[in-house]
Amino acid sequence: MTDSNNSATEDRRSYYFYLIPGAVGFLAIVLIPQIVNFALSFTAWKGVGLPRFVGLQNYLKLLTDVQFWGSMQHTLLFIISMTIIPVMIGLVLAALLFDYVRDEFGETASSIFRAGFYLPQILPVTAAGVLWGWILSPVGVANTVLKAIGLGGLAQNWIGDATFALAAVSLVIVWIQVGYCLVVFMAGLSRIDPALYEAAELDGAGWWQRLITITIPLLAPEIFVVVLTTLIAALKVFAPIFVITAGGPDNATLVPSYLTYFHFFTTQRVGYAASIAVVQTVLTVVLAVIFLRFQASQEGKS
Amino acid sequence: MKLSTLALALGAMVLTGGVAHAQDKTFSVWWFEDPASAQGTAWTKALEEFKAAHPDVTVNFEQKTFAQLQASGSMILNSDQAPDVLEYNKGNATAGLVSSQGLLTNLDDYVTSQGWDKILNEGDFVLSKYDDKGIYGSGHVWGIPANGEYVSAFYNIDAFDKAGLKAPTTIAEWEADMDYFQKQGTTPLALGAGDTSGQHLLASLAYTKADDTWVQNYQGLKAPLDGAPFLYAAQTLLDWVSKGYISKDSTGMKDDDAALLFMSGKSPMYVSGTWNLGKFSSTIKDFKWGQFVIPTAKYSVGSTGNLWVIPAGAKNPDLAAEWISLTLSPKYQTELANAGGVAIAADPASITDPVGKNAVTVFKQISDNNGLGFYPDWPVPGFYDTLNQKDSGLFQGTLTPEQFVDEIKKVYDDAQENQ
Amino acid sequence: MSDATLTTAPAASGTDDTDYNRPRRSPFRWLVLLLVTFMLLLTLFPFLLAIVNAIKSGVDYARNGPLSIPTSLDFSALVYFWNLSDFGRKLANSTIISLAVSLLGVLISLLNAYAIGIGRVKGSRIFLVVLLLGIMVPQESIVYPLYYMAKATGLYDSQLAVIIVFAVLQSAFGTYLLTSVLRSFPKEIIEAAEMDGANRWQVLWQVVVPVLRPSLMVVGTFFFIWTWNEFLIPLVMLVSNNNQTVAVAMGLTRGQNMSDPTFQAAASLLGIAPTLIFFLIFQRTLTRGVVVGAVK
Repeated sequence: MTDSNNSATEDRRSYYFYLIPGAVGFLAIVLIPQIVNFALSFTAWKGVGLPRFVGLQNYLKLLTDVQFWGSMQHTLLFIISMTIIPVMIGLVLAALLFDYVRDEFGETASSIFRAGFYLPQILPVTAAGVLWGWILSPVGVANTVLKAIGLGGLAQNWIGDATFALAAVSLVIVWIQVGYCLVVFMAGLSRIDPALYEAAELDGAGWWQRLITITIPLLAPEIFVVVLTTLIAALKVFAPIFVITAGGPDNATLVPSYLTYFHFFTTQRVGYAASIAVVQTVLTVVLAVIFLRFQASQEGKS
Repeated sequence: MKLSTLALALGAMVLTGGVAHAQDKTFSVWWFEDPASAQGTAWTKALEEFKAAHPDVTVNFEQKTFAQLQASGSMILNSDQAPDVLEYNKGNATAGLVSSQGLLTNLDDYVTSQGWDKILNEGDFVLSKYDDKGIYGSGHVWGIPANGEYVSAFYNIDAFDKAGLKAPTTIAEWEADMDYFQKQGTTPLALGAGDTSGQHLLASLAYTKADDTWVQNYQGLKAPLDGAPFLYAAQTLLDWVSKGYISKDSTGMKDDDAALLFMSGKSPMYVSGTWNLGKFSSTIKDFKWGQFVIPTAKYSVGSTGNLWVIPAGAKNPDLAAEWISLTLSPKYQTELANAGGVAIAADPASITDPVGKNAVTVFKQISDNNGLGFYPDWPVPGFYDTLNQKDSGLFQGTLTPEQFVDEIKKVYDDAQENQ
Repeated sequence: MSDATLTTAPAASGTDDTDYNRPRRSPFRWLVLLLVTFMLLLTLFPFLLAIVNAIKSGVDYARNGPLSIPTSLDFSALVYFWNLSDFGRKLANSTIISLAVSLLGVLISLLNAYAIGIGRVKGSRIFLVVLLLGIMVPQESIVYPLYYMAKATGLYDSQLAVIIVFAVLQSAFGTYLLTSVLRSFPKEIIEAAEMDGANRWQVLWQVVVPVLRPSLMVVGTFFFIWTWNEFLIPLVMLVSNNNQTVAVAMGLTRGQNMSDPTFQAAASLLGIAPTLIFFLIFQRTLTRGVVVGAVK
């Protein structure tokens, strides 16, 4: 790619103007509140009245907070259900729908499928909690069906048993997340030149091979975006846990965001909550930077 | 339409959408009780009378959600958007907190001038008073309750009759009743083990072993936790689970699921609060049902109801006081009871609805005896979550009764030391 | 070479060897369709539960539970919720807020992505990471500061505050996505336009945007839907009932000590209808892709 370099420097600078609205908004809505939050993490405060400076006390408490460390562990598991699995399912489904179903059965059919898979994204999480509660309760749909088809031995206390609660919530999360990945990937697929596929087919490449050698590399921008955003979402996940297990049973499904919500609004230990949020944010930033570096190096290669 | 036109139109709508109207006399009142509930029904009627009595005032009512007041109650009170009077949650963590921050109007003068001290007894005022640290029991009066609430066991009268059983008067009798049903193959007691009904059952059992000192220390955060009553409760519950009186699966059920088991007739008993009365009255049509008080020496889980509070910046505090008096008047207290609610100051003789009559009588009994032990999660903010979590551990078997008590003691003592 | 490894059916026979462009019409297609339909039904099952229970009467629910077919159709829950929450108004509020955020957010994202993805301004990588903070921070951590700022600027209890907040927060994602796509935007097109005398602004709107349209639509649709379902910040920032959104109004179905599940089902269905319609409308534009290579 050629680089226009004559009036480059002068032109380059004019691009900065385009960043002004975003920068101003960011300053007001994100940066300043984050700085305030950071400051609050060194105080004890009830949300009203004046904060009281306590130094590193909150962070020291955090080090010995069993709930906190447990929540961090659970997050790692939720990365699987919130990022890895939905991305994989999303890729395969997108290729299936865009490639196969669209070619064989028409645009409308593939659109209907896409809308259907996306529907869980549209549903408010409180509603998803109710619906999945009906399915996963000990006397709910899941167990009823298992008993009906003779697999009654597999019926479990999905939500109330610590052994299964994480899996149960993960299932709901996958259900919610696949639609997002699917839509982004399908939009990306429309970017790819069909001629590439035709050429590959002429060479005798099968559907799966086309997926691996053409689709995935060309969808790289979308894949990177989806992986990073679902990763960040996994570190922040709150709502599905809040409505299905409330962090239980006995903190088995606790996550950092649940803890911050708990301390910000229920116990009103705002300073402590702020410190948890700071740690959470720092971790997320570190992970994101690592990932972005990786993305840049991959893009550099191509 | 063109994108730019759409944007302009949106902009206009947004900017004009939030214009505030400054009227001469506007009175605003909020509550979050469901309109179909007893309180909602009675208060809506009272509001009509209030409007008629003040034709020169624009009366604004807003139906709030509990979620909003819970998450941002103090934020709202700390702003200009607060109304003249609103329903607020009683307890240290809620009413206590905002009163200690100076966000409420002191009601001491109104108590005497409006005659509330003639309507409510000493016990009724316990949760209205908060000191400057926000601890209940002493200090100025910051809120006024208009109803009461308590936890009891709901039972299927028809099922009991068929089994030849009567409502139990001792714990032993209760266990015998449950044993009978268990042998019939039903789960005797429906429960949301990791939810509210779980901790209320736990507390109900604990309170049967509680004396005055214990309750005062416990609720007042006066001393490290004396875990003995809770140990008894935890052991009893575990015993009941092992005998099949309570299902081990109950940790996977929310209160709604457990209530459903009772309403559909699958389980003959369910322990929960008087807030279920309205729902049960309107949806249980297949069998006769009633409540029995959980056998106890003195204390039950229960309290005076949510408080009417007047924000510090209220523009019409006198009207607000009038409103409170209206809801406390014999007319509307009876109205509340007849709608199936637990009126705090109604004369049982004047109540016609059987559900309401019974509820008021029971509440009066407990309250006159000073037996309101309040709720187990009150002493420590966030204790509600702790109890839910630890209850699931106990019922699931991952925590022994001793471990259970140790864990809740840790949280309690931590808060107690750091007041 | 053998065909797809996903299915177990044998390779089809009897295909026309000269028909290079058409995929082989094999029994695969029905298998695949079956598979995808099965997955779809599994995905949609919870919604079926919602519909079944939204039209069920309270007594029926108490008697038979959530898994039963309603014995009679009862729309009273839906009607009750509509009136109680002043749902028409909530719908209007949510629509205004979500639309405004969608437009504003896309605009901010576009401007940012243009500077970073095409302009490649210095320090753009850092800027991107910093911007991403917008989606990395847990919302609870910015609520109190935003509350105090809103009070100070008189924007507390105003929809404008909510719109600004979400437009900025969502634009973090939008910037990232659009930047990723714009990075591989062919420079030749831009240089061609510049040589024709177009300035940066014109290049943006006349060259880049038309090509970027599908991505802009995706981003805009997401913003609409995500904002629609946002709960915490509208809950805190919008006090008066007249200003509140659908998501906040859902709280009416949960009382202090109990909730009404059929009520919640009814409320959810009412709540998702607008976003569903929005998505369906914009779905069509999502499929229209512009083949980048065609420029050559």
